[in-house]
Amino acid sequence: MTDPRMNDHEIEALFAAARAERAEPSAALMARIMDDAMIAAAEAAAPRPVAPRPVAAQTGRRGLLAVLVAAIGGWPALAGVATAGVFGLWIGYAGPGDVGTLTATILGSAYGPNDLVPSLDTYLTEG
Amino acid sequence: MPFDAADQDTDEALLLAYGRGDARAARVLTLRLTPWVLAYARRLLRDAAEAEDVAQEAMLRLWRIAPDWRSGEAKVTTWLYRVVTNLCTDRLRRRRGAALDAVPEPVDDSPGAETRLQQAARVAALDAALAGLPDRQRQAVILRHIEGLSNPEIAAILEIGTEAVESLTARGKRALAQALAGRREELGFDDD
Repeated sequence: MTDPRMNDHEIEALFAAARAERAEPSAALMARIMDDAMIAAAEAAAPRPVAPRPVAAQTGRRGLLAVLVAAIGGWPALAGVATAGVFGLWIGYAGPGDVGTLTATILGSAYGPNDLVPSLDTYLTEG
Repeated sequence: MPFDAADQDTDEALLLAYGRGDARAARVLTLRLTPWVLAYARRLLRDAAEAEDVAQEAMLRLWRIAPDWRSGEAKVTTWLYRVVTNLCTDRLRRRRGAALDAVPEPVDDSPGAETRLQQAARVAALDAALAGLPDRQRQAVILRHIEGLSNPEIAAILEIGTEAVESLTARGKRALAQALAGRREELGFDDD
């Protein structure tokens, strides 16, 4: 006996199986991506001039926020904190195993990302 | 439901906020976009480690374009799908010449109930069949039938016309049906 070709319904069943199987990113990957985000932001926010401008001029141009970030070591200093937050969040969700999609988990959880990592303002006031 | 305010923002609003220096926006975007970027790259490459590299590279390109992102020109997801598609295409071209059977087969050792095993077997069979399609057909079929995108969106990602997308997906599905002929019973499709 020779099997006929798969029909549309059967192929759709394969697609459905593929849609249902989504490998979740590892915590390490999420941490690397978050690190990249902080580093890219640092590069964009602080193109290095040859001679640094006076602080007063920088304040006028870049704004108080940028100066405060620079005062605690710039964006890279925030990278570790933010990465730790994402890493912890990810461990919490991915660790137990079959937890479904991250989005659904976040939305169904009692905690949002904000609860685990304070806002930028918090970093600044702590600095 | 405890929504994070940032969770309700569009991808573009978050990207623009990140471009202005909002670290929280980067975090939300990372959590929101990375899972499907990785899943799509894995589907195209069939290699977990390479897919991780592509996901990281695609997200890095997103971070770098953020300060220059022009509002309303393109959807962030469309842009990202295009970047991932191109990165994967480059990697697959570098692999060209390798025998098809040198491409790692997904390991089908998933524990659990019989239905779970069958689902895994179906995914493995589909992935193997997809791997045999030409690049563009594979991309179009995955974007249409697994990622669930519309034809116009796929056209924007692949930078082709919608008619070409329809043609690619139709030919791709026919080729899949051909490639999977003979495996119906094995995959739990009984003739009755």
